[in-house]
Amino acid sequence: MTFLPAAGLVMILVGVGSYYATRSLHGLSAFSSANVVLGVALVAIGAVAQARRFRGFSGAESRRVVLRWTALLLGALALVIGVDVWASTFTARLDLTIDRMYTLSEQSVALCRELEQKGGAPVELVFFEDALLAKDVRLLVAAYADSCRAVEVRDARRREPPEAARDIYKTTATTVIACRGDVCDPVGYPSERNITNALARLTRERAIRVYFTTGHGEIDLASESDTGYSGIAALLRDQGFEPQAFVGPAAAEVPADADVVVVAAPERDLMPEELAALDRYLARGGRMLVLADAGQHSNFYSEFLPRWGFTLDDAVVLDRASSPLLRDPKPVNLLVHLFAPYNPVTRNLSQRTMVLLPRARPVDLGRKPQPDDKLDRAAFASQRAWISRDVSQALAGAETSAPDGADSHEISIVATGRYPRGGDEDTSAHEARIVVVGNRDFASNRLLDALYNRDLLLNAVRWLGNDEQHIALSDKGWTPNQDPLTLQQTVAYFYFLAFALPESLLLLGIFAWWRLRA
Amino acid sequence: MTRRLWALARKEMRQLFASPIAYVVLTVYVALTGIYFFQHLVSYNQLLFVYQSEGMTGGGFDQGTVPSQINVLNEVFVPSAEDFGLFLLVVLPLVTMRVFSEERANGTDELLLTSGLRPYEVALAKHGVTYLFVTLLLAGSAIYPAVVVLRGGLGFEHLVALYSGQLFYGCAVASLGLACSAFTSSQIVAAVLGYAIPFVLLDFAWLSNTVSEHAAAILKEAALLSHYGSFARGVIELRNVVYFAGITGLGWLASVASLELSRAR
Repeated sequence: MTFLPAAGLVMILVGVGSYYATRSLHGLSAFSSANVVLGVALVAIGAVAQARRFRGFSGAESRRVVLRWTALLLGALALVIGVDVWASTFTARLDLTIDRMYTLSEQSVALCRELEQKGGAPVELVFFEDALLAKDVRLLVAAYADSCRAVEVRDARRREPPEAARDIYKTTATTVIACRGDVCDPVGYPSERNITNALARLTRERAIRVYFTTGHGEIDLASESDTGYSGIAALLRDQGFEPQAFVGPAAAEVPADADVVVVAAPERDLMPEELAALDRYLARGGRMLVLADAGQHSNFYSEFLPRWGFTLDDAVVLDRASSPLLRDPKPVNLLVHLFAPYNPVTRNLSQRTMVLLPRARPVDLGRKPQPDDKLDRAAFASQRAWISRDVSQALAGAETSAPDGADSHEISIVATGRYPRGGDEDTSAHEARIVVVGNRDFASNRLLDALYNRDLLLNAVRWLGNDEQHIALSDKGWTPNQDPLTLQQTVAYFYFLAFALPESLLLLGIFAWWRLRA
Repeated sequence: MTRRLWALARKEMRQLFASPIAYVVLTVYVALTGIYFFQHLVSYNQLLFVYQSEGMTGGGFDQGTVPSQINVLNEVFVPSAEDFGLFLLVVLPLVTMRVFSEERANGTDELLLTSGLRPYEVALAKHGVTYLFVTLLLAGSAIYPAVVVLRGGLGFEHLVALYSGQLFYGCAVASLGLACSAFTSSQIVAAVLGYAIPFVLLDFAWLSNTVSEHAAAILKEAALLSHYGSFARGVIELRNVVYFAGITGLGWLASVASLELSRAR
C-alpha cells in the first residue's frame, strides 16, 4: 500500500507543476485540479491504510515519547508561526542595494514630515498587487508604509479603492495610484521619484507658475523634435508646475503671479523696456532662470546679466574628456562632474551623477550689485578644459586640443545669485534669485533625460520657486555600468561555467564512483 | 561529545563525497545556473542593443537613453535568482533522500543511536553536513553573478544579500528533505516527499483563486517564494529570515523526533 501515497504525491506534483507551466494561459485547469484532488485522495487513502496496519508502540514509555514529541513538534510549529507573525509586524530590514533603492531618500522623508506637520486629509497609495510591476514595487511601497506616517498604503485587493483610482486603473493598468480624498494621481512608472512627485502634486496648495519669455528667438517649447524643448514643459507640468509663455515685447511688466521667469537663450536683443521690466521684477524679489548658449550675442547677456553680477564671455568651453555617450565625441560635448557641494542647485549631483552640456558657455562672476548679495559658482568644467573664443571654429569641431598658453583657470558653467531685497527679516521669501546655466542644449528633448540633466533643470526651477525641499529626486536602480559584460565576454564565461566547470565536477564524480567500485 | 559529533560529521562528509551523486548534483546545478544566467545575460544584451539602436533613439544618441529600469538587477539578477531557487528545489532532494533512510534501510541507525550520541546530535551532524553541501552548491554557482556584480557595479553587498537568501532558502528546503528522509527507509519515498512538500509550499498561487481572499493572504504568507524574492532585490528582511530559520529548525526537530521514535520502538 506504500504505492498509493507515492502515486498520490506524484499526482500532486504533476497537478501543481502543470498549473505553473500553464498559468499564463489560464488559471487552474481541469487537468491540474483533477491531479491535485486525486493525488490528495490517494495520499489520504494510503495514510489511512498505513495507520490501520500500524501495530502501535509496545510500551508505556514508547507512547510517552510519541506523545511528547508530537506535542513538541506542534508546539514548535505554533512557536514558528507566532514568531513569524511577530516578525512580520516589524519592518526591520537591511537594504544592501548599491543606491539603497528601498530606503526613502531624504527628499521623500522631508515631504512626509511636511505632510505630517500640515495634517489635513490623509494621502493614500493604492497598491494593485495583481499588476505587472507589483513584485518590483512591493518593497518600495513597504518603505513608504514604514517611513511615512502621513501616507497610508491601501491594498486594492483587500480594500476597495476610490472610484477615481478604479477609473485610472481601468485605462492605464498602473501599479500604484496616489489618492487624496476623491482626487487621484496615476503616478506613472512606480519609482520613488514618481511616487513622491505624485504625493507632492496632490498636497501642493498652489501650483508654481513658471513664465517663459518669448519673442527674441528663445527656445521653442512647442517643438517636439529632438532639438525642440517640449520636454521641459511636459516635465514641469508633471512635477506640478504651471509653465506659461510670456510675450516680452507685448507686456509692460512681468505678470504679477509669476513665481519663476525663464529666459531661455534669446538670440536677439531685448528692448530696453523689457530689460527694465525684468529689473523691476527682480528688484521686488523675483526669481529667474537663464539658459545661455555659445555664439549668441543678445544684449541680455552683455547688458542685463552683468548688472546682476554675471559675466558671460562670447566663448565656448572645450574639453577633450568629452562625452562618449554621443556617437561623435568632440571636445565641445562637455561632461560636467565637478559641482559645488553645498549649492542647492547641484546638491545631489556628484562625480557619479554627471550632466552633459554640449556647446557650453562659460559663466563667470563679476561685481556684486550690492554688498549683501551672494554670488556662487555651482558647476565646473574639468581641469583639462579650456576656453575658445573662436566660437564658430570650435563649434565646427576644428579645435581638438588646447592651444599653447590656453587659460586653464577653473571654468564655471553654472552660477547662482541671491539678492536680499526689501529689508524684510524673512529674506528667503523676499530675496531675488538668479540661476545662470551656460547651456541650453542640455534641456532639449534629445538630452533632457540623458545622465542627470533633468535633475539640474529641476533643481534650478525648484530652488527658484522656493520649493527646494523637493530638490530633484533621481530614479534609483541606476547602475554605474548598465552594460557589464559584452556578448563576447558573456560567451567566454559561459564556456567556463556551463561546460568546463561542470565537466570537471563530473570527472570527479566518475573518479569517486570508480574508487567506490574498486 | 564534540569529538564524536565531529567524527560523525566527517563520516557523513566522506559518505557524501565518496558517492557520485554529490558530483552529479553539483554538475547539474552549476550547469543549469550557468546556462540560465547566460540566457538572461544574452536577453539583456539584446535588449540593450535594441535600446541603443538608431531606430530606438533616433539622432545618434547612444547609451544614455536606455531607461534606468532596464538594468542588470531587473533583467538578469531577479529572474536568475527565481530560476536558481527552482533548481535548488530540483536537485536538493536527490542529496537529502539517502541521508537518514539509507541508515534505516541498512539497520545502521540503531548502531548510531547506541554509539553514545544523542538523537539531536546525530540530526545536527547530518543536517550540518547537508547545509555545508548547500553552501558548496551555491559557491559553485556564484561565479557568474559575482563577475556581473563586480563589472556592473551592483555592489558586493547585493551579492551577499542574494546568496544569503539562497542559503536560507536552500537550508530550509534541505531541512524539509532531511525530515522526509528521517521518517522512511525508502529513498524513493524520501525523494518524492522531499519534492512534494517544498513544491507545494513553494507558492500557493494555484490554490489562492479557489479560497477566500483572507485565506489566500495567509497561504501567501506561508509560501516559500513570498519570502525569497526580496533577497534577490538586495534586501534582507527580518520576517523572511525568521520564516526560513523556522522551517529549517522545524525540519531538524522533525528529524530528531523521528530518531527518538525509532529509539523508543
